[in-house]
Amino acid sequence: MSVVVERSPVPSWLSDRITNRHLVAIGVGWVTFFFVFPVLFLVVESINFGDGHPLQAYQRAMGGVYLAAFVRSFLYGIVTTLVTLALAYALAYYLVFSSKRVRLLLTLVVVPLWIAYIIRYFGVLLFFSPTGPLAQSFGIETDLLFTTTAVIIGLANAYLPFAVLPIYNSLNAIHHETINASRTLGAGQLRTIYSVVLPLSMPGVVAAGVIVFILSAGSFLGPDILGGSGQSMIANEIARAFLEAFNIQLASALAVIYTILLIGFIAIFNAVFDLQEALGNL
Amino acid sequence: MSAVGSLKQTGLLRRGVLLGTILLIYVFLLVPVAMVVLTSFTGRAFPAIPYDGISLQWYVALMTDSQLLGALFTSFVVATGAAIIAVIFGTIAAIGFVRAEFPYKQQLSTIMLLPMIISPVITGIALIRYFGQINVNAGYPTLIIGHSILGVPYVFLLVRSELVTFDNDLEKASRVLGADPTMTFTNVTAPIISPALLSGLFIAFIVSFGEFTATQFLIAPGTSTVPVEIYDMLRTGLTPEINALSTVLVVIMVLAAVLSRYLER
Repeated sequence: MSVVVERSPVPSWLSDRITNRHLVAIGVGWVTFFFVFPVLFLVVESINFGDGHPLQAYQRAMGGVYLAAFVRSFLYGIVTTLVTLALAYALAYYLVFSSKRVRLLLTLVVVPLWIAYIIRYFGVLLFFSPTGPLAQSFGIETDLLFTTTAVIIGLANAYLPFAVLPIYNSLNAIHHETINASRTLGAGQLRTIYSVVLPLSMPGVVAAGVIVFILSAGSFLGPDILGGSGQSMIANEIARAFLEAFNIQLASALAVIYTILLIGFIAIFNAVFDLQEALGNL
Repeated sequence: MSAVGSLKQTGLLRRGVLLGTILLIYVFLLVPVAMVVLTSFTGRAFPAIPYDGISLQWYVALMTDSQLLGALFTSFVVATGAAIIAVIFGTIAAIGFVRAEFPYKQQLSTIMLLPMIISPVITGIALIRYFGQINVNAGYPTLIIGHSILGVPYVFLLVRSELVTFDNDLEKASRVLGADPTMTFTNVTAPIISPALLSGLFIAFIVSFGEFTATQFLIAPGTSTVPVEIYDMLRTGLTPEINALSTVLVVIMVLAAVLSRYLER
């Protein structure tokens, strides 16, 4: 391979001054200016500078439908995480220990990640719709649409690939000798899974759980497309306050509360596990 | 390998149950998208499995719908612009973070990942209010900058993992042979990490192309994107035209993903 040495397009007086720390500053600066500042600006937007209590939006945000939406986001997030982890563990376990076509099967897990969420929720909607292809072709009619079950199914469907990858990686890293030793020492397969494989794969399970919880608790499209008014999660209430009630103060207050709760959750997690490593698995 | 063998020595029944479960999980994972694509070829007025022959009438309807074609154009422009910006800043940050040493480096790099952690609804309202304050017009500018922010974490993670395995001696050799840092970058570093950059470009393109939640706040009249059109159509009722438009989106996104994976090797 011939290497054509090009003249440097940047004058040397400039290139000599750019250090790696400057590169960090440019990258972090871009995200700070166009993401961190806007999110911090919501704090200003959430405060009432007119008549009444400065924090009146917060008083409203912590009661009634909004409190219910916060609780629902948390509960739906937990349930979705548990369902997704169970499915992901079974799948990852099969891929690592029993499958002969790991590459193909892993690709099939990743394929849905390439496709827009809205299309995947639309597919779940079609699945349950009384005028959908299932009902039309097979006469299978469900009353699931616009229920909590439908929302959980949709969320689990959307975020399952995010859970499979970290669990697959942690299972794949287990040395076969360890499992061998357990079997040689007389443990049955279930005992081996319970006492050896499961503990060793915990980092992957925790990483997967955190990712799925963060994504599902903050989901807008899942409850919007598959749920009814009784399934409204916090993202839906924020959007409604902003787009329908034009109450920017309330929408901002809800966003600030949710972001603080989420960052608190991540900080606790980060103290125990490495979030970066978890996200790096994707 | 014998450990794998021992795990395989399970009863035939247990294996059958396991295989059945795995098959069901794949059905669960893949059937929704397959259903959207399959029912786009119906000749009826609602999404149905086309038993009575394949019809392309809803694709024809799509081709004559100037609003949808406009949305497709907008999505392309926005995703291309956003992907380029995301790759530039994601790569700059990744190089800096891998090579510089300073206190709280790990904590600081979490900032680069925040856009993928914060709910996109919050990202959307935060950006559109902030853009209003700093006089950035709603439409292409808000969409491209907003989507570039959503793509940055993916590029950052991808390029950083590529750089960690990079052989620093190659750069030292280049410097010893008399090249300045920029020449070293263009002639040594860039060619080696460029597959990761191109791969990141396509990932950021996909992230932008399919994004709805933050996008609904960032659009202006006339700059609606494909996911926004799909959402609006879903509000007004199920017609196979939504399926046809979704299928076009699926094809473009999968194509970009395949290119990305191919380049990564």
